[in-house]
Order: sequence, then C-alpha cells, then structure tokens
Amino acid sequence: MAIIGLNSIRTFTNAASNRVVNVFPTMTVNSEKANKALHWIGKNISSPENRLILGVSALMSQPFIDLHNKKVDEDTRKVSAARTVAKIIAGTSTGVLIRYGCIKAIDAFTKFPEEITSVTKNPRLKTFFTPFEAIKDGLKDLRHYKSALGTLVSLGVMVFTNFLIDAPFTKFMTNKFVDKIHQKDKQKQAQNKEVRDAA
Amino acid sequence: MPLKPSFLAPFNEFVARHYGKDTGKMLIHTGVVGWILSAAAQVMAIVFNDKIPKEQKMYLVPQELADAGVNILSFYTITQGCKSVASKLVKSGKLLPKSVRGILDAKGLTDKVGKFDFNVFEDAGLSPTAIKRLEKFKSGVDVTAATIGSVLSCNIVTPIVRNEIAASRQKDLVAKMHNADTNHSSYVKPDYSYTKRPSMYDFTHNTSSLKI
Repeated sequence: MAIIGLNSIRTFTNAASNRVVNVFPTMTVNSEKANKALHWIGKNISSPENRLILGVSALMSQPFIDLHNKKVDEDTRKVSAARTVAKIIAGTSTGVLIRYGCIKAIDAFTKFPEEITSVTKNPRLKTFFTPFEAIKDGLKDLRHYKSALGTLVSLGVMVFTNFLIDAPFTKFMTNKFVDKIHQKDKQKQAQNKEVRDAA
Repeated sequence: MPLKPSFLAPFNEFVARHYGKDTGKMLIHTGVVGWILSAAAQVMAIVFNDKIPKEQKMYLVPQELADAGVNILSFYTITQGCKSVASKLVKSGKLLPKSVRGILDAKGLTDKVGKFDFNVFEDAGLSPTAIKRLEKFKSGVDVTAATIGSVLSCNIVTPIVRNEIAASRQKDLVAKMHNADTNHSSYVKPDYSYTKRPSMYDFTHNTSSLKI
C-alpha cells in the first residue's frame, strides 16, 4: 500500500519535473572552481553532512516560523520556539554522530577481497558487509555503498536513541530555555512597573 | 583462501545495487525511512504509555499519524521533485560541465539537447573518460538538489503546514468546547478528556516529530 502510494507520488513528481525541465534554459557550468565543487560534493557529502546542513538551516528558519505564528498566543509562541531549538540541537547532534559512527563501523567490516591477505586477522569479519557480487560486476568505489549501509544501520540505532537520548535531552533543554524566557519576562514586567510607578 | 559472503549477502547486494552509485537517491530514501521510524516510535510511545487514558490515545494516535503523513509527504514530494529535475537537466543535456558541452557542440548534437528522448550518457557517443567525468558532475548535482529539497521541505514547508494544521485543530477543539458549553440548558461539566486542547504542557513535554 505504502509502496503504491510512493510510486504514485514518484509518477506525479516525475511528470511535474518534466514540465519544469522544459522551462529551464540550457546551462553550462564554465567555472573550473564550480565543477570541482560539484565533484567534491558528489564525493564527500553524505548523510551525516546532509543531517548537519539540515540542522544548521533548521536553526536559522524554524524558530522564526514558530515566533511568527500569529495563530497562537505570545507565550505559546515563545515556548514552542524554545522547544523547536532544543529539538533541533538534540536531533542534529545525535543524528550526525550516530550516522558518522555507523558509517565508520561499516567501513571497518567492508574490505575489498584483495585487501585480505593470509596474515589478516578475522578475514570473514572484515568482509562481513562486502558486496562480492556488486564488486564482481564492476563496483570499484565502495564509498557510497558504505555510507548508504551505515545510514540504514544508524536509522535502526536512532529508533532507540530517539527515546533514550533525544527526548530527555530535548525536555531538559526546553525547560532550561523556558525558565530563561519566563525570567526575562518577569524582569521586563518589573521594569515596566517601575517605570509606571515613577510616572 | 577463498572468502565466503556473509549471511547478510542478499541485503548487502541490494544496497550496493540500489545506492552504490547514487547518494542523492540514498539520501531521499533513508530520509523517508527516518521519518517513518520516527513517527512509528512516537506512536509506540503513546500506545505503551500507561499514564495516557485509552480515550486520549484514540485521539493522540491518529493525530500523530496525521503529522507523520504531512512530514513524509512533504519530504518525499519536494526532495524527490528537486532531485528528479536536477537529474533530468543533466541527462537531457540542459545542464552540463563545459568540457562535455564542448564535445556535444563538436559532434553537432546541439539541436538534440533538452529533448526528453535524448540521454547524454547513451546517445552522445561520449568516451569512457568523459562519461566518468559526467557521472561525477551528475552525482554532485543530485546531492546538491536532494540537500536543497530536504532543507526546503523539512525547514520551511513542513513547519508552516504543521503550524497551520495545529492552529486549525486547536480552533476546532475550542469551538467544540464552546458548543458543548452553550448547547445545554443546565450546565453539565463536559468530558474533554479525549479532545484535550493543546496546552503549554504539550509544548514542553510532548516529544512529537523528533526528526531522526
């Protein structure tokens, strides 16, 4: 059911993207620097970096969206923005670290057959995740494969860390932020009262 | 000594076949799986929380599923859309590096560029070196598009849509509460337990939509 749904969305996005592509003019990337940058991105940006970019850009956009949500009262806006910041910090830090760690771990157990010699310890363990068939069929660079497998493993790990680390960490930071917000509000109210009394 | 593949070989080969050369595709698919697992975890947290009454669970579980639906739909549609456009721009020859554009011009293929049946990888007769260079270029374009798409969906579209939905949900519930108060001739304390209005407690203690 879900697969049928995703396929329908893919068909729709493909049809829509055909129309968008039609509108684009022909473009050539002339700059050598830009071409090198694209090669570097294709080679080095994977899921931990993607998660970090998502987290940093989330910090720059989501709290402001919450703070400008005029459909709820001011206090709710502030608390919801504080919770969003806490959630982003907790989610991004664990997300990046766990993805990075899992990819590193997969790397240790995905050696090419030619890297294994008679003196290699635990050869079966070191090729535990090696895709022998794909290598036979010509897969020479395992970087993308390792990051894909590491990311999939990290998703399984994060189902647990979501509760064990993210949720309590988010709650702790939200409470800290909310306390600060309320303290500031109280100070402001006291100052306003002093000004009114003086007048 | 001949090496034997592990018992995970079918899974390893599946991952290698589908994502071994396409990081952009991996980022989208793992992103969707991440949202699904995140939502499933939240639903489980509600279902197995003994402190939440059954009536409230009947309201909170569909609410959580609806939130997950918005997150996943927005993420997949926008990110897949961005990547699909970027891939097609490169494949059809509309977006190319200078070196490959030069080859197409020299071969007199300029008029075919941008047509949907034209695939620059297959129909331009490029040398293996040029194809390798173009594959690297396409990989960079795909990852950039997938990243831009995920930033756009996760950080701009989804929070705005979610705020709108939450606000309208809150408005409906307030209206329901108001109706319940005014439609009775004699005052009877209404049972709000399963239509609880979002409160400060929800904003500080609820763990919904933690992106993993």
